[in-house]
Amino acid sequence: MKNNQIKPNKIRENASPWQGGIAKSITFIVTKDCQLACKYCYLVGKNEKERMKWPVAKAAIDYILSHEEMFPEASVTWDFIGGEPFLEIDLIDQICDYLKTEMFRLNHHWFNSYRFSFSTNGINYHTDKVQAFIKKNITHLSIGITIDGTRAKHDLNRIWKGDAQPERGSYDDVVRNIPLWLEQFPNAGTKVTISSADIPYICESVLHLYSLGIHEVNINCVFEDVWQEGDDKRFEDQLMQLADAIIDGGYYANYACSFFSEYIGKPLDPVNENQNWCGAGKMLSIDAAGNFYPCTRFAAYSLREKRPIIIGNVRDGIDKNKLRPFLTLDRMTQSPDKCKTCEVASGCAWCQGENYDAAATPTIYQRATAICLMHKARVRANNYYWNKLYRKLELEGSREDFEKNKPQVKPIDC
Amino acid sequence: MLQYLVILLDDTSASFCHYHVTKSTPRLMPLDTLKRGIRFGMIENLMIQFIYPNHALPQEYLEVIDTIDHSDIKPLAGDNADADIIVTDNWESDVSKLRDAVVVLRTCWAQFREHYSQLNNWLAVAKRLNVVVTDVERLNDDDREQYKAILETLSKEVEKLYVEGKSPQFNLLTDRMVLTEMNNCNAGDTTITLAPDGKFYICPAFYYDGENQSVGDLDNGLDIKNRQLYSLDHAPICRKCDAWQCRRCVWLNRKTTLEVNTPGHEQCVAAHLERNASRDLMLSLRSRGTFLPDKEEIKELTYLDPFEIATQWN
Repeated sequence: MKNNQIKPNKIRENASPWQGGIAKSITFIVTKDCQLACKYCYLVGKNEKERMKWPVAKAAIDYILSHEEMFPEASVTWDFIGGEPFLEIDLIDQICDYLKTEMFRLNHHWFNSYRFSFSTNGINYHTDKVQAFIKKNITHLSIGITIDGTRAKHDLNRIWKGDAQPERGSYDDVVRNIPLWLEQFPNAGTKVTISSADIPYICESVLHLYSLGIHEVNINCVFEDVWQEGDDKRFEDQLMQLADAIIDGGYYANYACSFFSEYIGKPLDPVNENQNWCGAGKMLSIDAAGNFYPCTRFAAYSLREKRPIIIGNVRDGIDKNKLRPFLTLDRMTQSPDKCKTCEVASGCAWCQGENYDAAATPTIYQRATAICLMHKARVRANNYYWNKLYRKLELEGSREDFEKNKPQVKPIDC
Repeated sequence: MLQYLVILLDDTSASFCHYHVTKSTPRLMPLDTLKRGIRFGMIENLMIQFIYPNHALPQEYLEVIDTIDHSDIKPLAGDNADADIIVTDNWESDVSKLRDAVVVLRTCWAQFREHYSQLNNWLAVAKRLNVVVTDVERLNDDDREQYKAILETLSKEVEKLYVEGKSPQFNLLTDRMVLTEMNNCNAGDTTITLAPDGKFYICPAFYYDGENQSVGDLDNGLDIKNRQLYSLDHAPICRKCDAWQCRRCVWLNRKTTLEVNTPGHEQCVAAHLERNASRDLMLSLRSRGTFLPDKEEIKELTYLDPFEIATQWN
């Protein structure tokens, strides 16, 4: 299996300051079905009917590749999402073959500067069709398997769909595929989502993921207003325990956890640090009906309260007017006063889709702040982590060496 | 801060802006509602603007209206005696009836393109002329070139009037020359509308949109959620813009971009064509002698849509 180890092609950096060096992210919502019914899943409208058909996928590709001027980013990430995307592996394989052929035929600037990206629950990872797809596309592929931590933590939320009692967790069905995944993607990270009920399991779960061989744990609190009184204190306690475990156990040298970052918890300049956090509008999502969205979170199946924001479709193309609010949105304009003057503002994220869904009017210009106390708790634990770690390294005389070689984490916040 | 209260006296009150009156059956605002609306305006210290329908109002309504200092916006087609502003969407109107009047001419783009040369007559008699291209959001690139050319033609006519010693006021060409800051509709910010149903709306357009988009009522007061989004400082494109004469229609904004604080491309382009035509007119008049010496020259721009330079802002 060593031959299957992935060395993804380097994604070129985008020089445009507007795009901030990111690649264009284009997401196919290939199905709204999933084997699981995770309790914290923001996809409130999952169903078995809305599966993308090939003609829709082809029309989307034809539109996008034939409008090269509208997509100037140097690179592209073709993202596949569900539900569970690998339920539609046949369609995905067809899409990817067509993309490669067409990018080559058109001499498109994305040819050889693309990546296929998947977030999967991992259940079908080992199947013949998925493995064949991986082998075929191995040099242009990134796959993240979501495993939430210990069996207790994972099975608390990530349960199989259906009415069976007791609830059936999916931990065993996922963890069996982790060794194969890490063999093929040794640098892969996993994404962990924290809701109120998960807080007691944070420390043990991150350590458990490390023990499975996962070196990069991207972890974040949900943006929805699910938090209970006292959760911030419990969260802080868990992160303090985790900080001690990572530092005392020496994990910091080779493992990363996105909760701890040197760049969070600082005030932000209202002028020079006024950028929007979220990439909605710079991304493009396509659903089974052929509708375009500024992000998957604006599709109907993601929204509790609001109508979807459709910015075009595969037949009529993109309505650029619908993108203007997204592309001119800044931090200060959408933030309430408490965020504008917050002394620990940096690193406090938001999801534009959740902002929209939770807003008092149908606007993306009202920042939801349900995460406020959790962010502040994170900042306190984060301060503790770095103060403790740097003191330890200084006493050991190894700080400089650590600074040069410290593991990096690429935060995934939605 | 609210300054103006628009009161629609009837479901068929004349439109004076981009929106169309979607109700065809006359229905007067109940007299008690009118009284309470006036009382609200007095308590909140608002200047009231009454919008009239084509049909005549009962005497008792006129008496109630007369209990407060106000402005009257009346359709040309009805009894418009004592109107402060006369509105019409009829290019065939008898312009002799518009002498020294403040006039709003509503027109679709197709009709504007066809009849614009008649505006000489309107400008010659009216004290002020506001032209509202009701479907400005549908202007395409070809229309844009044509609009530019039409404004150039009209500019020559306006210039002639100035040379003759007159002071024409024409929203598309002269407003920008005299403004020193944004002067927009400001619905939801400084202006609110009371409809015949006794409810408040951001502007009449939101009443006629069909969905329940009220922002309060006379019983419970105003309840404008996310009110800050109607102010200029919460409009990322507009607050950087100097097309100060732009109507900045929040209803059109929402229609085209889904956000009240974000204009669509077409509204921006039209406003900039007007701005640029005003610039040329101002330069031309100054070449003839002193003209508005206290006003700064309107700068030359390289874009017609401020969104094009949005990348430089963040």
